[in-house]
Amino acid sequence: MKTTAQVYKKEAVKPIWCPGCGDYAVLSALQKSFTTLSLKPEEIIIVSGIGCSGRFSHYLNTYSLHGTHGRAVPTALGAKAARPDLTVLAIGGDGDGLSIGGGHLSHAARKNPDITYLLLDNNIYGLTKGQASPTTPGDYQSKTSPYGLGEEPMDPIPVFITYGVSFIARAHSFNVKEMTSIITAAIKHRGMSIVYIHSPCVNYQALSWDKLREQTEKLPKGFPVKDKMKALEPAYSKEPLYTGIFYRRTQPVLEDRLDRITETARKNRHGKSIGMSAKEIMEDFR
Amino acid sequence: MRRNRPVKHSELDFIIRIAGEGGDGVVSCGELLAQMAARTEFHVFTFITYPAEMRGGYSMIQIRLRDITIYSMGSMVDCLVVFNQQAFDNSIEVLKPGGVLLYDPAVVDIGKHDHEYMLEPIPLTMMAKEATGGSLSKNMVALGALSYLFGADMEMLETLMNERYASKGEEAMAKNHLALDAGYHAAANINLDTNFRLADLKPAGENYMLISGNQAVALGAIAAGCRFTAGYPITPSTSIFETLTRLLPLVGGRAIQMEDEIAAISAIIGASFAGEKVITPTSGPGLQLMTEQLSLASMIEVPIVIVDVQRAGPSTGLPTKTEQSDLKYAVYGAAGESPRITLAPTGVEDSFYQTIRAFNLAERYQVPVLLLLDQSIGYRKATVKMPDFDKLSLVDKSEPRKSVSIPKSSLISIVNRIEPSTTELEDYMRYLDTDDGTSPIARPGTLGGQYLATGLEHDERGIADQSPKNHLKMSKKRFRKLEFITKQFEKNPIEFYGPPDAVIGLIGWGSTEGAIREARYHAEKEGVVTRHLHPHTISPLPSRQISLFLLRLKYLLIVEENLTGQFAHYIKAKFGVKSIGVRKCEGMPITSDEILKVIMKVAGIDDEDNCTSL
Ligand SMILES: Cc1ncc(C[n+]2csc(CCOP(=O)(O)OP(=O)(O)O)c2C)c(N)n1
Ligand code: SF4
Ligand SMILES: [Mg+2]
Repeated sequence: MKTTAQVYKKEAVKPIWCPGCGDYAVLSALQKSFTTLSLKPEEIIIVSGIGCSGRFSHYLNTYSLHGTHGRAVPTALGAKAARPDLTVLAIGGDGDGLSIGGGHLSHAARKNPDITYLLLDNNIYGLTKGQASPTTPGDYQSKTSPYGLGEEPMDPIPVFITYGVSFIARAHSFNVKEMTSIITAAIKHRGMSIVYIHSPCVNYQALSWDKLREQTEKLPKGFPVKDKMKALEPAYSKEPLYTGIFYRRTQPVLEDRLDRITETARKNRHGKSIGMSAKEIMEDFR
Repeated sequence: MRRNRPVKHSELDFIIRIAGEGGDGVVSCGELLAQMAARTEFHVFTFITYPAEMRGGYSMIQIRLRDITIYSMGSMVDCLVVFNQQAFDNSIEVLKPGGVLLYDPAVVDIGKHDHEYMLEPIPLTMMAKEATGGSLSKNMVALGALSYLFGADMEMLETLMNERYASKGEEAMAKNHLALDAGYHAAANINLDTNFRLADLKPAGENYMLISGNQAVALGAIAAGCRFTAGYPITPSTSIFETLTRLLPLVGGRAIQMEDEIAAISAIIGASFAGEKVITPTSGPGLQLMTEQLSLASMIEVPIVIVDVQRAGPSTGLPTKTEQSDLKYAVYGAAGESPRITLAPTGVEDSFYQTIRAFNLAERYQVPVLLLLDQSIGYRKATVKMPDFDKLSLVDKSEPRKSVSIPKSSLISIVNRIEPSTTELEDYMRYLDTDDGTSPIARPGTLGGQYLATGLEHDERGIADQSPKNHLKMSKKRFRKLEFITKQFEKNPIEFYGPPDAVIGLIGWGSTEGAIREARYHAEKEGVVTRHLHPHTISPLPSRQISLFLLRLKYLLIVEENLTGQFAHYIKAKFGVKSIGVRKCEGMPITSDEILKVIMKVAGIDDEDNCTSL
C-alpha cells in the first residue's frame, strides 16, 4: 500500500490559495499525519466550512463535504455518530468556527464526539476580502472597521478549556513538523480534539508572519496536560504565544454513550441486550 | 381511465367531548376511553386541543367512535363532559339536543339549558376528595361515570389504567381506582338511560394500533429503515422526536438532541452523507432555521427527510393550535432554486405510509423530502391497521414508479439508495448527469468512491465549476428529478371521489380530507353532487391528474386552513384557474359543516361570474 502523503491528495484539483497563504502548511501537515497513522483515504470524512480555509475539502482524496458557513462541527458530529468506524474531521476558519458557528462548540464539547476540528485562525475574513473576525486585534483597520474596531478580540483557547473540550492544542503554520505531530496526536485522541492553528493570511495581515514568529514559544516539556486550571495561564498568554498541547483528558465519548443508551433501552425492554424489529416495535402500540 | 373511490356508510356514529382546563386530566380521561374502544371493533378518532401553558387555559379531547373508517372529528357531539364553567360555555353549543351532559354542579352553572339535555350532575372534585383525599383524580371520577353510562368493560379499563399509570407508583394507582369506583357508583345512582354501549362491538382482531399522527411518523420512519435522528424540541412536533428517541435504540438506531435546529439538520446531513437514512422533526419556526442547510442538501443531493408539523403562526403564533400555513415556505422557501419534494399526509394512517414514501423518494432521488403535517393530525389518534411485515419488499432501481407510489398495509415497498457498481467506481462520477437526474451515491468506506460534496456549483465529478454552461447543466440535472417524478404520476390512473360529471369540485390538501369527504356526503343527501381531489404530493404536483379533474368543472372550491389561500394561489399559478376559497384561520380544524355551507351556497348560485366573492 502506498503510504506517502500523495495518496490523500486530489490530483485533479490544485489549491487556489494565494502564494504564501498559511493554509498550504496545514494541508501538508494533515496529509503527513494521515500517512503517519496509515489511514485509508476512503475511511476518512472531512467536513469543511466556508472561507479560504473551507476549501480544504476540495484538495483531499477523501469523502469530503464542503457545507455551509459555520456548520462543519455539527455536520461532522452527525457523520461520526452514524459511522463510528470512520475517521471524521471538521475544518474551518476563525469566522466560521468562532463567529457564525461559535454557538455549536460548547455543545459539541459536552457531547465529545471522537472528531478532530482544525480551526485555522488568520484573524480575518479572508475569502470575503478583509473584514474583521472575532480574533482581529482591536487596533487593526479592516474593511469593516476603517476607524479601528469597537471590540476586543476573543481568546479561543481559554474558551475551549472552559467549554470542556477534551483535547486542546495550538500550532502554527511556520512549523509543519510540530503541527504534524500535534494533528497526529489530536486524531489519535478519543474524543473531541481542537487544533487551533495560526495560519496567517498574506493579503490581510491582521497578525503577520513576522510577529507570530517572534511571539511563539513551545509549551515547556512535561507541561501538566490534565489540569484545566494550570492550562488556563499559558492559554491566556500573548507573549509568548504558546504552541503544543494545553489539555488532554479521557472523557466519555458520544458514540460510546449512544451504545450505552441502546443497551439500557434494550435491557429495560427485555432484560437482555437484543434488538427488536420494526414489527415488534409496532406490536407495542396495539 | 377513471377510478372513483367508493364510500361506505353506516349509522353508528358516537362522539364524546371532554373539556376542562390544562391540568384537569381531560386528555388522560379521554384517551383511556378511546383505548378501550380501540380494543373492540370500533374505529376510533380523537382530536385534542390544549393550551400553550402548563396549567389553566381551555383543554379538550373529542373522541369519535364508528364501525367504519372515520374521516374527521365530527361536528355535533352526543355526550359532553365539562370540568368547569369556561369549558361549558365554550362547548355547550356543540352538544346535540337530547345529548348527555356530564358536569360538576359545584362549579358549573348550566343556566336555562336544563330541559334540552340528559343531565348527569356529578360533583367531580368533591367526590375525588372524598374518595382519595385530593382533587387530582377528578378525571377518574368522570371516567368512572362514563364507564357506567356507556357500559365499559371494567376489567379491560383497569388493565389499561395500570399500564398508563405504572410509573406513578402504587399509591397514585390505588387512588385512581378509588376515584373510578366512586364515579361509577354515582352514575349508577342517577341511572340515565343512554342508548350507546361501548361493549356492543366484538373485541377487535389483533391487528389494529391506536396511534397519533406524530407516532405514525415515527413508526413509519422506523419501518422505512431510518436509524438516525437529530432534533430540537418544538410543539407540536416534539412527540415525534420523543417517540424516536425511545424506539430507535431498540432497533439499533441512534437519536441525538442538538442545540438548535441548524445543528439538528446539520447532523442529519452529516449522518446521511455517511450512509444512514435520516429524519428531523420540527415545526414552522424550526423549518425557517433549517432552510440554509435544506438548500445544501438539495445542492449536494443528500437524502434527508424533514417533518414540519405545522402550527398557527407567524412567529411564536399559536404554538399548540393548527394551521396549514407553511405550504409556500415548504415548497419554495430557499435562496436559489433548490429542488425538494413536499408530501402532505391526510390523516393518521396516511402519515405512516407517507413517511415510508418520503424515505423512498428521498433515497431514490437524493433530494430533501418535506412532510407537511399539522397539529390536528399530529395530535389526533386513530385506529390504524397493522401493516403486514411479511409483505415487505425491496424495490430496485429498475422500478421507478414503485418508489413514487404510496405503500399499503398489504404491500410495503422499501427503497434504498443506488450505489455505484464496480465498473462505475473505476472512473467514479458522483454527479453523473442521467435521464432521471439521479446518480449513484457512494457510501463512505467504499474504495474508489471518494468524492467531494460541495455546496458550490460543481461538475459531474463534484469538482467546483462555476462556468455558465455548467451551472445551467447541473441546475437542469437537479430539477430533472422532479420532472421525472411528475411523469411517473402521469402513468397512474386519476383518482378522485365522486362522479366525473359533477360540476362542483373540491380540492384540499393534508388534514382537511376527512371534513371534505363528510361535507360531500351530506351535500349528496341534500341532492348536491360534488367531486373531490386530495393530492398527497404537493410538490411536484400530479399535473395531469389535476388538469383532468378540472375538466368541465363549473365551480372549484379550494379548502385550506389559512387566511390568504396559499394552496389556491399555488393551483392558480400552475393551472390558471379561478377558485372559491373555503378557508379557516382560527387555529382550529375546519369542520364538515363549514364546508357544507359553502357547497350549498355555491349550488344555489345563478350568477356564475360572481362566484369568487363568496
Ligand atoms: C450564511 C453566510 N453568511 C455569510 C457568508 C459570507 N462569508 C463567506 S466566508 C466568510 C468569512 C470567512 O472567514 P473565515 O471563516 O475566517 O475563513 P477564512 O476565509 O479567513 O479562511 C463570510 C462572512 C456566507 N457564505 N454564508
Ligand atoms: S486571502 Fe488570505 S487566507 Fe485567503 S487564500 Fe489568500 S492568503 Fe490565504
Ligand atoms: Mg479567517
